[in-house]
Amino acid sequence: MRKVGIAGVGHTKFGRVDGSFLEMLSLAAVEALDDAGIKTAPGSVDQVFVATMGAGMINRISGVASALVDTLNLRPAMAETVENGPASGASAVKLAYMAVASGICDVVLVVGGEMMRVVSGWEATDFVATMLHPEAEYQYGLTLPAFAGMFTRLYMDKYGVTEKDLAIIAVKNHENAMHNPVAHIQLVPDLHAITEDEDAHVINPYVAEPLRMYDVCPVSDGAAALVLCAMDIADRFPGKPIRVAGIGQATDTHVVAEREVPTDLLAVRLAAERAYRMAGLKPEDIDVAELHDAFQILEVAISEEAGFFPRGEGHLAARRGDTRVGGKIPINTSGGLKAKGHPLGATGVSQVVELVRQLRGEGGGRQVQGARNGLAVNFGGFGNNVVATILSREEE
Amino acid sequence: MEPKMNAYKCTQCGQLHHPAYFICRQCGNRTFEAVPLEGEATLLTFTRVYNLPEGYMKPWIAFGIARFTNGLCVSGQIDSDYIAAGMKLTATVGVVKEGVGKDYFGFIFKQAD
Repeated sequence: MRKVGIAGVGHTKFGRVDGSFLEMLSLAAVEALDDAGIKTAPGSVDQVFVATMGAGMINRISGVASALVDTLNLRPAMAETVENGPASGASAVKLAYMAVASGICDVVLVVGGEMMRVVSGWEATDFVATMLHPEAEYQYGLTLPAFAGMFTRLYMDKYGVTEKDLAIIAVKNHENAMHNPVAHIQLVPDLHAITEDEDAHVINPYVAEPLRMYDVCPVSDGAAALVLCAMDIADRFPGKPIRVAGIGQATDTHVVAEREVPTDLLAVRLAAERAYRMAGLKPEDIDVAELHDAFQILEVAISEEAGFFPRGEGHLAARRGDTRVGGKIPINTSGGLKAKGHPLGATGVSQVVELVRQLRGEGGGRQVQGARNGLAVNFGGFGNNVVATILSREEE
Repeated sequence: MEPKMNAYKCTQCGQLHHPAYFICRQCGNRTFEAVPLEGEATLLTFTRVYNLPEGYMKPWIAFGIARFTNGLCVSGQIDSDYIAAGMKLTATVGVVKEGVGKDYFGFIFKQAD
């Protein structure tokens, strides 16, 4: 297999986007192509993958990748739209990797995007919940926050995680987002005000007990893009591409209640193990990680399943500051889903964009000094389809 | 006819499933017999959700994951003022979602007597 790298990155400001879905995708795509020094002209890209979960359902657009190719004047490039729930982005990166590694393509454009704020909060919650089991879950009114709430309670009962632990992680991610100009939320909540203040239950109400508003990601619009290329043509690009060193993916039971150990996220563990094996790396070799904190408990659980901390100790590591920039393993330097935002199809691509920026040394106030290897974990369903991606900076 | 909830018993190895699957998780057989899934269960975890999806005209609903005495674990709604992990529940079947021209039935757990 050929080695594969990332030659260009692009990212719109997450939040509320005016304009059309295709314009939003195009902005991210053009930024990534420009970053890679690629002319937007026929023949410059072999394949385009677009990752989106809800374009068909909430924006009434299908065939997005075909439309984007034409909008960007990249015909006759191959084109597919990829849907794997909130892990659509990392799935598209995986498919792009396979396309280049196999030798079928030299240059592949990946664009992930979601425009969710066109619908009401309850419609957004509903369309995301359609990935749950239709009869055993969705028709009960169960949602992703509902499962995250039940998972959080199990974690609290078993490992002693507190509401304050979750708030500490949320505040850390908001602080990181202050250094990321594309993050949706540009403010840092006061830890005391959202946890111990007498009005905390008003400022920070329950969404799905015991999860409160500040333990849950916002609803965001946005797009992110990457240009993947074969490392054997790296000299065509202005900078040395960051290598995609490992990719792992695994699935788990669709019905959450069926899991043998309900606090385990087996698909995360397997996906991470497969990515480490492919990259020839161990958890201790990772310098920076973007973990799918749609709910703050997931940052804790994924940090354990990815091997950074022993089971049941992720929250203790967060309390110690191990996951802050400058700590043992900085997590969600971008602000994470919590503060940067979570436009579903964009998220997996956005996580990889952040790792590229960190490994290039472009992190600004959130830079992890000397970062060489980064891990991203993109979590689909309630953990029933998870993709882990490892990037490495190769020395000149 | 009064709505009932079922488990699906593999006709070859007897393994119970809920919901219905195409392939037995234990032996790979493809035929099942529907058997009633009812009675007592233990609550493993729960939540009260305040931001419900479209179609629910209530301020909040309580949900839980419960384990039946036969070992099957299911999600359902909870109708009880008192809710605590580990409590004993009785499974009832009721309308869990009102659709247009069609009601959807599912587990509504109540505190056991």
